[in-house]
Amino acid sequence: MAASGAGAAKIPPEAIKAIPVRHPWRWVSAVVVLAVFASVVYQIATAPRLKWDVVGEWLFHQSILNGVRVTVELTIIAMVIGVVLGALLAVMRLSANPVVSTVSWVYIWFFRGTPVLVQLFFWYNLQLVLPHISVGIPFTPAVWQADTLPLISPFLASILGLGLNEAAYMAEIVRAGIISVEQGQTEAAQALGMTRAQVMRRIVLPQAMRVIIPPTGNETISMLKTSSLAYITTVQELFRSQELIAAFNYRIVELLIVASVWYLSMTSVLTFGQYYLERYFARGSARQLPPTPLQRFRHILFQGHAPPPFPPADPLPVYPPRRDDSGQGM
Amino acid sequence: MGKQMVLSEAVHKRFGRLEVLQGIDLEVAPKEVMCLIGPSGSGKSTFLRCINHLEKIDAGRLWVDGELVGYRQQGDKLYELGDKEVCRKRSEIGMVFQRFNLFPHMSALENVIEAPVRVKGENEQVAVERGRAMLDRVGLADKIDAYPNQLSGGQQQRVAIARALAMQPKLMLFDEPTSALDPELVGDVLDVMRQLALDGMTMVVVTHEMGFAREVGDSLVFMDSGIIVEAGKPRDMLANPQHERTKLFLSKVL
Repeated sequence: MAASGAGAAKIPPEAIKAIPVRHPWRWVSAVVVLAVFASVVYQIATAPRLKWDVVGEWLFHQSILNGVRVTVELTIIAMVIGVVLGALLAVMRLSANPVVSTVSWVYIWFFRGTPVLVQLFFWYNLQLVLPHISVGIPFTPAVWQADTLPLISPFLASILGLGLNEAAYMAEIVRAGIISVEQGQTEAAQALGMTRAQVMRRIVLPQAMRVIIPPTGNETISMLKTSSLAYITTVQELFRSQELIAAFNYRIVELLIVASVWYLSMTSVLTFGQYYLERYFARGSARQLPPTPLQRFRHILFQGHAPPPFPPADPLPVYPPRRDDSGQGM
Repeated sequence: MGKQMVLSEAVHKRFGRLEVLQGIDLEVAPKEVMCLIGPSGSGKSTFLRCINHLEKIDAGRLWVDGELVGYRQQGDKLYELGDKEVCRKRSEIGMVFQRFNLFPHMSALENVIEAPVRVKGENEQVAVERGRAMLDRVGLADKIDAYPNQLSGGQQQRVAIARALAMQPKLMLFDEPTSALDPELVGDVLDVMRQLALDGMTMVVVTHEMGFAREVGDSLVFMDSGIIVEAGKPRDMLANPQHERTKLFLSKVL
């Protein structure tokens, strides 16, 4: 105590001003990377047969915009089906009922094990083998019946192909989230008298969200791009729209650039949204929320280096160290 | 069996081949504070968890407040209780865990009012009022909006006690409530428990705190390898243990 008191008297309590360590190799590597990047961009931008005015001409053309709209619709509906059905399959998979959990396992096995392109083709061509669809109790007259062809439109075939496939992946994501929540949480909730459904909805799922959101964001971004496969069902989403135009003006690469610009813009918006969603669900688990992109940008501008992407806090609930005097270990 | 809050007769529990409880007989009277001590693996936590049916017993009978735990008896037949009945009974028993198990996505107050609102269907305003009172009672009136990870271990455990009390239980179970705490924080939690005992709460406490057992406990039970080795008044037993096994254990922890 006396020593630190004496020391405190000598060192003035001012902020430290020191010459920072220089990092010359950081500058060298930055220049090399920029040079390579610039040369690639330059070559593409000045490609002699690439008509940039064609790109500009079609970028906001009505048929491209329609394609964008259909792509967004496909993505949203397929993801909604995927998340809802996936959550249901995940809960089924964790069910104590062996029939229910096996059905879920078989579903996941089948839809994850076959290519989504095959599934899309299957739904599109369903009417070849199944001209009528009926709903009812087996071996009794149908309650409801319809012809397959007008019922399963190209759009619906795409939704079924993409959504049912996505559900299999989402089921595994949700299941991973659920089992990541500590067993003690369930016990504490049960000890308070909460029912299984309440424990799941109020305690487990909100905590599982922190684990579920990031991969779901990836899945959504991936779905936006995978929806281009739906062009084989003749549904006029973004990819098919640009292809139809390219088929008559032969500006194949230009129109691919048009499509890419749109895909990139949309995935960028999603990336941004995902970031804020993650921040929301990190509440209560991180002591300090990670900085937003704007905060990061300001930090780089004024401090000269990037802040750590996450504050150095424990991502898991923080417990004080165990007392070691229990003697018998656990 | 109308008199006892907890009555246990020949309770057995197996995990696979391991017999964790090999015939537990004990009674806890209303307003009694019973402390369970014993080495790790002696079955004391398991027994505690049987009382509110977090574990199913394999043999014997267990009553809480005159009602069988987990079953309904009609004639000489036992019927397993449904999820709803089990939940209703659990809601009348408070439990505090070694690792607190607060809900990390809820503030202290939200932790406390969750069960009164969701399980009992209490009016939210009423629940908030009592939630504040409960947090005040455990000395955390100023931490109402704090999230669990912003609280120290001792504060978290006191919120956990307030959470259990908010359900107005007739029995409180404590499973080594101070074992995960820094030594300097143990006192605050024990103070809250001592006050609770003075207020007349029936408590079963699994603990390593012999001082607490001596001062607050009305009875003391020493368990080892799934049986009750010795039971009696805490002062007598701690000062003058009768069995070799008890002597050995106490010589190590005192």
